[in-house]
Amino acid sequence: MTEHADILVIDDEQIMREGCSRILSKEGWSVAAAENGEKGLEAIQGFPDKFDAILLDLMMPGMSGMEVLDRVRNMDSNLLVIVITGYATVESAVEAMKKGAYDFIPKPFTPDQLRIVVKRALERRSLQKEAEFLRREREKSLHDVATEKSRIKTIIHCMGDGVLVCDRDKYIVLTNPAALRMLNIPEESLFEKPLSQSNLPPELSRMSDETLSRKEKGYASVSQELTVGETFLRAHSAPVTNDLGEVLGSVTVLQDISYLKELDKMKSEFIAMVAHELRAPIAAVEQQLTVILNRLAGEVTEKQEKMLSRAKERTRGLLTLINDLLDLSKIEAGKMVQYKEPLSLQEPIQRVVDLMRAEAENKKIDLQFLSSPGISLIHADRSSMEGIFTNLISNAIKYTPQGGKVWVTLSEEGGCVKATVSDTGIGIKKEDLPRIFDRFFRVKTSETREIIGTGLGLSIVKSIVDAHLGSISVESEAGKGATFTVLLPKEPMSTAGMQEK
Amino acid sequence: MPKKILIVDDDPDLVEAVSMILESKNYDVAAAYGGVEGLEKAKTEKPDLIVLDVMMPDKDGYAVCKEMKADPNLSKIPVLLLTAVVSKIPTTHYTQQMGLETEADDYIDKPVEPAELVKRIEALLSK
Repeated sequence: MTEHADILVIDDEQIMREGCSRILSKEGWSVAAAENGEKGLEAIQGFPDKFDAILLDLMMPGMSGMEVLDRVRNMDSNLLVIVITGYATVESAVEAMKKGAYDFIPKPFTPDQLRIVVKRALERRSLQKEAEFLRREREKSLHDVATEKSRIKTIIHCMGDGVLVCDRDKYIVLTNPAALRMLNIPEESLFEKPLSQSNLPPELSRMSDETLSRKEKGYASVSQELTVGETFLRAHSAPVTNDLGEVLGSVTVLQDISYLKELDKMKSEFIAMVAHELRAPIAAVEQQLTVILNRLAGEVTEKQEKMLSRAKERTRGLLTLINDLLDLSKIEAGKMVQYKEPLSLQEPIQRVVDLMRAEAENKKIDLQFLSSPGISLIHADRSSMEGIFTNLISNAIKYTPQGGKVWVTLSEEGGCVKATVSDTGIGIKKEDLPRIFDRFFRVKTSETREIIGTGLGLSIVKSIVDAHLGSISVESEAGKGATFTVLLPKEPMSTAGMQEK
Repeated sequence: MPKKILIVDDDPDLVEAVSMILESKNYDVAAAYGGVEGLEKAKTEKPDLIVLDVMMPDKDGYAVCKEMKADPNLSKIPVLLLTAVVSKIPTTHYTQQMGLETEADDYIDKPVEPAELVKRIEALLSK
């Protein structure tokens, strides 16, 4: 079966119109007919796509076939026109072909001849349609690509974040105004030389190196903070890969985090200011209480002494809280662990143990420090280390009843120096263990109610350990004491035995 | 002849409390309520020792100490710095560094325990 098609027959002879209609209808095609040129043009006018082929008699009264052909071609040059010619009119057939007719059929013709000619025209028509369809598709996809390109370009240009795209050789191939603004350089200076030779921060070149040398599949990004003048930037870098997973270049996105830094600084300054403002009057109150309790302002009754002692414990608790807050804000501002140096952990622990001895003796607690010889150095801030062990040891003493035992050990384990603080105290319930390092978390039992604390100590300890790339863990059971274990990585250049004294 | 001690702190309540500790040990006590006044009194009162607060609004203790040590008439007077750090994380680095830089002779965290304060003062005076 042939495809459906619409055919228009323009002929002044009724017999021809009817004959053609009959023959062509049998093929399943729809046939319309017009008895002269004007009517034919009328049928075509407005619906140039309606007809797949037109059979046109050249010899008609009124408007001649040639003129109709001209007009049809003017309307739509794609319309297929087959001209019907009489005997001895080869010239007109040639002329019609020159004017753009697709084919001609001389009169009289057999039904087969007509079918063949029309069929060929329709095949041509269908090829034409297909070609047209493909052309449109191609145009559309070209258009889509252009739209997509322009869209991406607009997105990149409007972004508040800076974008730098490098090829495999680290030449910058794309950038946006935000990046130029953040890096404070003119656009011309960026192109035509590799990243490492541009006057951009060297971190960017290093990040790009790292990104380009990535071996693992999948999305992996490198991120780093850097400063350009007064501006703080956070840069994220990720590789661009083709469908084979080969790295073709890198994309670096720059975020201006100056305002976050500013906000963070304001927060820290605010906390510091509030804490300092609170600390002075509380310290003064505690000083006054101390003087009264020392009977320097006259006699104190037993009842007064009890109340004043409790009041002093409370001011001490407040001062500890304020100091913990200050420490925490310092840690957050990265100020706490600024002075890292090669350090023997033995020294700060020994110092803290010596300082704590009086407190332990007050509670008749046996405090011991056992260190293996020749412990490797670590890379750490001395006062922060003292902070860790002051917290851990004073906690151990606090939560261990009279006559108990607290012992500190120092040894090595793998690439780390390992310190433990153990006690025979009240221990920690299993359900409380996961939260023990959380801020403001305190174990609440009848035994801990009398013990003053802020719930910040262990979170400070953890922050310091984290800042030294170490780890801290705890093992405990209610009623059976607790052991805190701190692991800190050895100083890379450390030689065991050097610190033996 | 009792030794004279100058207390410099912007908090009058703290000055009063520390004075009471020192008076109980029969020291002669003078007081100043700011860094500038402290420097003045160091010259006029000629104390044997100065207990000097660090954080003061007009001139802080470090600055006062520095000026004193630069002044030949005052440089011999021992200075005990009153630091406001009772931190659980001992800021030894900080206090020691600052103490060394300012050439203070010793430092003690406030609020002070009377016995500890007296011990430190006696040690400085007997040098």
